Amino acid sequence: MSAVRLRSRPSLAVSALAPLVLIALTVAVGTSGTPSLRGTVTTILCEMIVVLGLQVFIGNSGVYSFGQLGFASAGAYAAALLTLPAAFVALQTPGLPDVIAEAQLGTVGSTAVAAVACGVLAAIVGLPLMRTSTLAIPISTFAFLVVAYNVIGNWDRVTGGSGGLVSIPRTTGLVSAGLWAAAAATVALAYKWSTRGYRLQATREDEVAARSLGIGVTGERLIAFALSGMLCGVGGALAVHQSGVLAPTTFYFVASVTTLTMLVAGGARSVFGAVLGTIAVASVNELLRGVEGGDEILGLFSIGNTPGLAAIGVGLILLATMVALPAGLTGGREAGELHRLGRLRGRRRAADRAAASVTAPRGGEKHVAAVEAPVKRDGALRAHGIAVAFGGLRVLRGVDLTLRPGEALGLIGPNGAGKTTLVNVLSGFLEPDAGTVELDGVDVSGSSPFRLARAGLTRTFQGALPFPQLSCLESVAVGAMGVGDRRGRAVACAGEILGRLGLSGRATRPAASLPPAEQRLLGVARALATRPRYLLLDEPAAGLNEAEGEELVTILREVLESFGCGILLIEHEMSVVMSLCPRVQVLDDGVTLRLGTPGEIQADPSVIEAYLGHSYLEPANA
Amino acid sequence: MLELRGTRIAYREVEVVHGVDLRIAPGEVVGMVGPNGAGKSSVLRAICGLLRPSDGEISFGGRTLNGMAPEQIARLGVALVPEGRQVFRTLTVAENLRLGAWSTAEGEAAIGRALERFPILRERGGEHADRLSGGERQQLAIARALLGRPRLLILDEPSLGLGPKTIDTIYELLGELREEGTTMLLVEQNAVRTIDFCDRCLVLSGGRVRAEGKPEELRGDFDLVRAYLGGRVERQSSNGGWGR
Amino acid sequence: MTALGQNLIDALALGSLYALIALGITLVYTVMGMMNFAHGEFIMLSAYALYALAGAPFGIALGGALITGALIAIVAERVAFRPVRKADMSTQLVTSLAVATILQNAVMGAADARPKSVATPSFVSETTQLGSLSVPNLEFITLGLTALVLAGLGWLLYRTRAGLAMRAAAENFDMARLLGIRADRVIALSFAISGALAALVGVLLVMQTGQVSPTMGLTPVLVGFVAVTIGGFGRMLGAVIGGLFLGAASSLLGAYLPADLLPFRDAFVFSLPVAILIFKPQGLLGAATGEARV
Repeated sequence: MSAVRLRSRPSLAVSALAPLVLIALTVAVGTSGTPSLRGTVTTILCEMIVVLGLQVFIGNSGVYSFGQLGFASAGAYAAALLTLPAAFVALQTPGLPDVIAEAQLGTVGSTAVAAVACGVLAAIVGLPLMRTSTLAIPISTFAFLVVAYNVIGNWDRVTGGSGGLVSIPRTTGLVSAGLWAAAAATVALAYKWSTRGYRLQATREDEVAARSLGIGVTGERLIAFALSGMLCGVGGALAVHQSGVLAPTTFYFVASVTTLTMLVAGGARSVFGAVLGTIAVASVNELLRGVEGGDEILGLFSIGNTPGLAAIGVGLILLATMVALPAGLTGGREAGELHRLGRLRGRRRAADRAAASVTAPRGGEKHVAAVEAPVKRDGALRAHGIAVAFGGLRVLRGVDLTLRPGEALGLIGPNGAGKTTLVNVLSGFLEPDAGTVELDGVDVSGSSPFRLARAGLTRTFQGALPFPQLSCLESVAVGAMGVGDRRGRAVACAGEILGRLGLSGRATRPAASLPPAEQRLLGVARALATRPRYLLLDEPAAGLNEAEGEELVTILREVLESFGCGILLIEHEMSVVMSLCPRVQVLDDGVTLRLGTPGEIQADPSVIEAYLGHSYLEPANA
Repeated sequence: MLELRGTRIAYREVEVVHGVDLRIAPGEVVGMVGPNGAGKSSVLRAICGLLRPSDGEISFGGRTLNGMAPEQIARLGVALVPEGRQVFRTLTVAENLRLGAWSTAEGEAAIGRALERFPILRERGGEHADRLSGGERQQLAIARALLGRPRLLILDEPSLGLGPKTIDTIYELLGELREEGTTMLLVEQNAVRTIDFCDRCLVLSGGRVRAEGKPEELRGDFDLVRAYLGGRVERQSSNGGWGR
Repeated sequence: MTALGQNLIDALALGSLYALIALGITLVYTVMGMMNFAHGEFIMLSAYALYALAGAPFGIALGGALITGALIAIVAERVAFRPVRKADMSTQLVTSLAVATILQNAVMGAADARPKSVATPSFVSETTQLGSLSVPNLEFITLGLTALVLAGLGWLLYRTRAGLAMRAAAENFDMARLLGIRADRVIALSFAISGALAALVGVLLVMQTGQVSPTMGLTPVLVGFVAVTIGGFGRMLGAVIGGLFLGAASSLLGAYLPADLLPFRDAFVFSLPVAILIFKPQGLLGAATGEARV
């Protein structure tokens, strides 16, 4: 069987090389012009490294941080202080420890030290910040920027205070800046497509679902934050060795807005976008700055002296992007994925319909080790006496439930009966007021979804799109990465599952482009990638028509056989429940009304009463 | 009074309602039943202006509603009692009611009349709405909707999450409203009660109208039973004149 | 004891100022779910209006500032924020960042980057004796103004029809529309009031520092954001508490920090919120009850 790949080789090559090509072109433009153009282009390349640093965090986590330029500033100061000639040290920064004052590292050395220092600083700063809620991170990182500015600006004896530093050796060359930028772009892309990067992207796509797959949101964000700080530090270090001067305001508010605009205009999710956006916005910026002093445009009309014009231009670009093109020029895609831009609109086409016919492979196929459920022990998922109340409303009033591996249990009942609440309790999203949950004999009451996923319990969510911006294969692979697989194994596992569910043809298509029936399957596939012993499916058949419902049942039967997990199926579509589940539990008003076979349930008058209101079927019609 | 012609609704690029026709005459009480995910709520949201249909015209009293803002549609006399009641929990009962009369010139007198009809609300007038029980909130939501003197009252799953006795109370109230000639569109998952109650009923499933008719036509229909309980049910010859 | 009393009053006054900023930001947040970074520029532009009207009687200048604040806010909403009304909070935040940049640099281009001094009425810089304490009049004004604003907002929100509409829209925007409440008007009103509050802050800042500059809005808006965050998003009371806390912390640190650490006061003040957020991620009071959607 041919190896499964997350993307085709050509696509990978294009995506990896495109940023490098752009950078090379930029360098070429720089070499061909005047010395001042050379200087400008070098500055742009340094900015690009900072923007790439932003991309690593903001693009992959989906959370805005406004503090990254604090790290650029720190990196710049660190590098400058390490290369400042002794004479100037005595003059500008008398308080500097001798170790640093006497060090005369070259550009590379000081940049490297700055990188490491900033990485460490970012990890330390990020530790408390990443634990704050998603809403609070933008604001608390902004506070960090102000703190950094304040500290640097007032620590006169070490940093030269608000006046800043001058006479820093100007050693950053155009070509070396280009090389550093190329390295940064490669690092950013490598991270994005690594196991860690994927796990972080999952939190961006759907934080709740990511947790349920075993991904630790805070930890992943912290890693990206530290890496981002490191790259920003590199950018700052190189920039300061290009301009020769440094002040606290160099990397403060204006620079924050400019670099953010560069990232967003290009497309935050994409490394190529970061590179492209930097070049585009920087060009506009330079153009406007040239006009600021008063100029003629195309010989047609002239503008007087307008300082701040460039910044207004940048602000307008940012505004226009947010309003009209929030995903940026690239739509968040890497170069090798750009051709898929049009395909995001998932209208069904005849060809797709044909390809969608699901055929599960028949028995006789050897189970790939990657996919098998863990060694079978005798065990079960048992819930005893679960009670939950929201305020004065008692939603669950003492419910028991038992699920064994390899069996399907249906959970039905009218709206408001407590089904979803029960699933939330079982999957760790809600702590019950009373009752226990046992997983294979171990008490897991109150465990987090993260731990439960790793213990073998995974759930899906009602009506949720599975990681819309990732491809199908990526979406499923993330499930495996969530429980600890490395990327290679995860991808192989994902490929196997997609094959079993008949979705192989879809592997590299964005998940959002799938028709709804297949999206449900994808959600199931992703949950299966965590190799659960107990799978909780929350209304997978909602909105499907009869034929699609039947296909779902066929697939779920196959899942029971070949994956060996137990399935708890919450559903309103009776045809699905009754044909798949040999046992059905009816919940009504917070208690179990009946537990029995489909036949028993369908004939039970109290069930009909609960669902249909009052006695509906005449006795002769049972 | 209300007419939908060929209404299609899409959600995130996927069509969930595939062409629904619906007609309600003044004074009629029409029901819409069907399983979860059938598209009932989407149709209601489209009527009220919270969703834009991708195709098909919705007209009310001769005026086209497509593209109108929800507040405009409300001022035309369409009142929605939404799923889950959606009373303002941080406001008091009295304030909720005042909001109900928002778009009319009605004042305290109308609110006084409302409190006559719903004595429970009069008792709890000064309390915050989150202190009310489910049934009381449902009454509040209905009272609030009625204060706008609507020409059309739409109820989305009024019996949701309520106990049987409470549901009886609510349906008694709806019965009174019907006597007074209020035009109503009633959406429920609880099929039998609705079918019995309404003048006419539509069965929606998978985004399409599967059946439509008067109570006696729909009662005892095995297709309906199948839609709810699945499994194999023997078909007997149907009585009504309509079919799939 | 006198020194302590003095410091406490200073802390209260500064806290009140910060509370005013936070209230302006929260007002918009409750109705639109958006943290408005451009609030700082509303403050700045109102201050410049005061500067432009410096020759006129104070009442007129004050009125001019208030109108400027409200007007700028309404225009910004109409032009820049309405298109992103349905977008997520991050997009809205960045949009407001863009608006702030544009406004700030527009003023820099039109006026210039240097601060300009504004003559303030003399009684503002005088102090009044209160027992053994000598309190700057400006602090009285600030405290009095804040109390008035709180009372006024309370009256507006709880005793007027418009306020009822705003509270309803804040809890459940779609449901409010379904009852016939005109969404656009409610939002415009919120922005106008927010802008007026910004103007008040701008006036107070001018009276305190005696000057205006294009960048004067940056620190206030940041303070406001942090105050709202530690107070708990979406709660008016939280905004006030957050503001008081930050103001008190800043003022007291200013009074009691050892001299060589004094320049780093801001660093200390802005590090505090992080500590709070770690233990109470939803802020001191917790976030407001989530918005329901019909």
